[in-house]
Amino acid sequence: MAVSAVHLESDAFLVCMNHALSTEKEEVMGLCIGEVDTNRIVHIHSVIILRRSDKRKDRVEISPEQLSSATTEAERLADMTGRPMRVVGWYHSHPHITVWPSHVGKNQSTPLPHQFHNFSFHCHCKLFQLVCLHHSFSTTDVRTQAMYQMMDQGFVGLIFSCFIEDKNTKTGRVLYTCFQSVQAQKGSEYERIEIPIHVVPHEAIGKVCLESAVELPRILCQEEQDTYRKIHSLTHLDPITKIHNGSVFTKNLCSQMSAVSGPLLQWLEDRLEQTRKSIIELQLEKERLTQELATM
Amino acid sequence: MAASISGYTFSSVCYHSANSNSDHEGFLLGEVRHEETVSISDTQISSSELLQVVVHNHEPCAQLFSFYDYAGQVNEESLNRILKDRRKNVIGWYRFRRNTQQQMSFREQIIHKQLTQLLGVPDLVFLLFSFISTANNSTHALEYVLFRPNRSRYNQRVTLSIPNLGNTSQQEYKVSSVPNTSLNYAKVIKEHGAEFFDKDGVMKDIRTIFQVYGALQDKVQSVCGEVEQSERVKEKVQEEVNKLKQQIVLRKRKTTDEERRLQEAQNPEPRLTPEENTEPPETSLLSRVAFHTPSTPERPGPSANPPAYADLLSLQNDSLLPFSSSPTSAALLPRPQAVGSPGHPSPSPLGLGLSAGPNPAPSPGTPYLGNGDGSSSDSLDRQAAGQEDDDEEEDDDEDSSEYENLVSEVGQLPPVSASVLLQGRPAALSPDGDASVRGSQT
Repeated sequence: MAVSAVHLESDAFLVCMNHALSTEKEEVMGLCIGEVDTNRIVHIHSVIILRRSDKRKDRVEISPEQLSSATTEAERLADMTGRPMRVVGWYHSHPHITVWPSHVGKNQSTPLPHQFHNFSFHCHCKLFQLVCLHHSFSTTDVRTQAMYQMMDQGFVGLIFSCFIEDKNTKTGRVLYTCFQSVQAQKGSEYERIEIPIHVVPHEAIGKVCLESAVELPRILCQEEQDTYRKIHSLTHLDPITKIHNGSVFTKNLCSQMSAVSGPLLQWLEDRLEQTRKSIIELQLEKERLTQELATM
Repeated sequence: MAASISGYTFSSVCYHSANSNSDHEGFLLGEVRHEETVSISDTQISSSELLQVVVHNHEPCAQLFSFYDYAGQVNEESLNRILKDRRKNVIGWYRFRRNTQQQMSFREQIIHKQLTQLLGVPDLVFLLFSFISTANNSTHALEYVLFRPNRSRYNQRVTLSIPNLGNTSQQEYKVSSVPNTSLNYAKVIKEHGAEFFDKDGVMKDIRTIFQVYGALQDKVQSVCGEVEQSERVKEKVQEEVNKLKQQIVLRKRKTTDEERRLQEAQNPEPRLTPEENTEPPETSLLSRVAFHTPSTPERPGPSANPPAYADLLSLQNDSLLPFSSSPTSAALLPRPQAVGSPGHPSPSPLGLGLSAGPNPAPSPGTPYLGNGDGSSSDSLDRQAAGQEDDDEEEDDDEDSSEYENLVSEVGQLPPVSASVLLQGRPAALSPDGDASVRGSQT
């Protein structure tokens, strides 16, 4: 049965946005951690940024280790909150692609560029592997989602569309949508069903969300290191080529620092200052209210 | 003119906006750079000046009307109190509204003019965020436009870019060398190229840059730790403040009830069936519902104890609650038809789950139903509340938003207290139309 709604805590939403806006040249993805209640509402409390172990254009893989560490993370959150937490969904970004509701997508006359997605992951000792043709939003993501749902009917998919601009009105747009997959009849095509999603206010940023947010530069660096190691192990390269490759690594790491680590640090410092100011104001208000209560 | 904003700042504004149950505004801090580019062609040499506005971070305002009044008059003292020493870094301000046109309202224009003068920034910019959703709430869009209203009328919008990692493609690595049979070439590059490598054959630059990265990441972690601690402190103090507010409200209510009883005892009259008997026990929720709240000039803080899901669910299960005494009844008010849904969504008996027209109202216990069959007659066309904001002011209400069709839909609504309608946007339709009840709209 379909999930009835998704409640995404605003700090988890913040991490998703940070992640989606980190690059406009490729899709990023992550897992959602939370719980499902008896009314079939999925509550997402935090997200985990995933690493793409294979960055070829036609492949997106989640490593078994990542899934396993996602489960561990869920268990940790469960311990912290005293509530049962698990992986309840996944999210990914669509840079430069608007996520339209399904009926609008069907009317598009110009097909969007094709991309192949090859998802493979381990979960609970089951290995799913699928190759999907990515044509607009509907097909690939829906089939991928359907595979996830085989493990867990409550599994939901979120998509963040960003880096969209209407050149005429100079209006930028960021969209997010939630969906599940359904198969009308056995053997027929999977269809997307839209799930209401609401961002639930959460004034303070949770510990798990903060930790997820600062993982991004680490993940990017690890990806770069892995690629460089493979290149570095090639023995037949001449010194000039090696110097070139080393410089590419240096250049890429510099890009990451200036585009991600730097702004992240800037934001953290600002947030710290904002929160400290809020605390002072709140304490003043607390004193005022205490006095008011005392006089009543 | 070109403008850019850091992705983290952008997300942070979205985050603050999502936490706000009304419009949200704040200031943009950053710098303006003049870049001159010289272009040389066969026929001419020309230089063009580019004004680059870079937004580093934002200063959110805790409430609306914090530095201006209902007439749009800016109070410099309040402005200084909010900005303090960051005043010199202000390059613009922003506003987040739901379901509105992408145009500056009259009040915003007035405020902008005054800010331009007070802050002494001739090219002060205004960033407008507008939030729209599909009627079934499955897809939400945040649109943003950067205005520079001090320029000519026809050239006011500026593209806002979000610098990012861009192409992290690792295809720039070379997996093979260009074949070369020259022995001299091989000899020279080996001899002089050795400078770049250390004794382990690793490029020195790589070790160095890795150290830079490591140090930066350590700093990020440590500041993150400090942020985490301060968030927990803030949460704790906020909770204490909320508790005190609840106690005050309870105390006031108790006093009012006692006074009323005293009055009735003095002037006995036949009593009508009181509505209060059917109120749910969670008086803390009711204290924040519009039509029962005592008139306090300030609205509760944005995080004033949203009801726990357990509370909300228990309310849903009690289907005998009449609308007027259910805190969730404010959610019965349909959202303005911002995104082309076919007519007004019929509210469910329990006040939640505003599904699109053709679908039946959801059954109790399953409040949120998307269009389960996958169909959606909505699009993200903007049929927003639509009136133009050129010559009108926003609601005088603190939870002001720009749409008016709420009032025009009165006829189709279930019998909700009229005071809810008159007070503008219902609090229960919090950030994204979420029907979870929070805040109030005094």
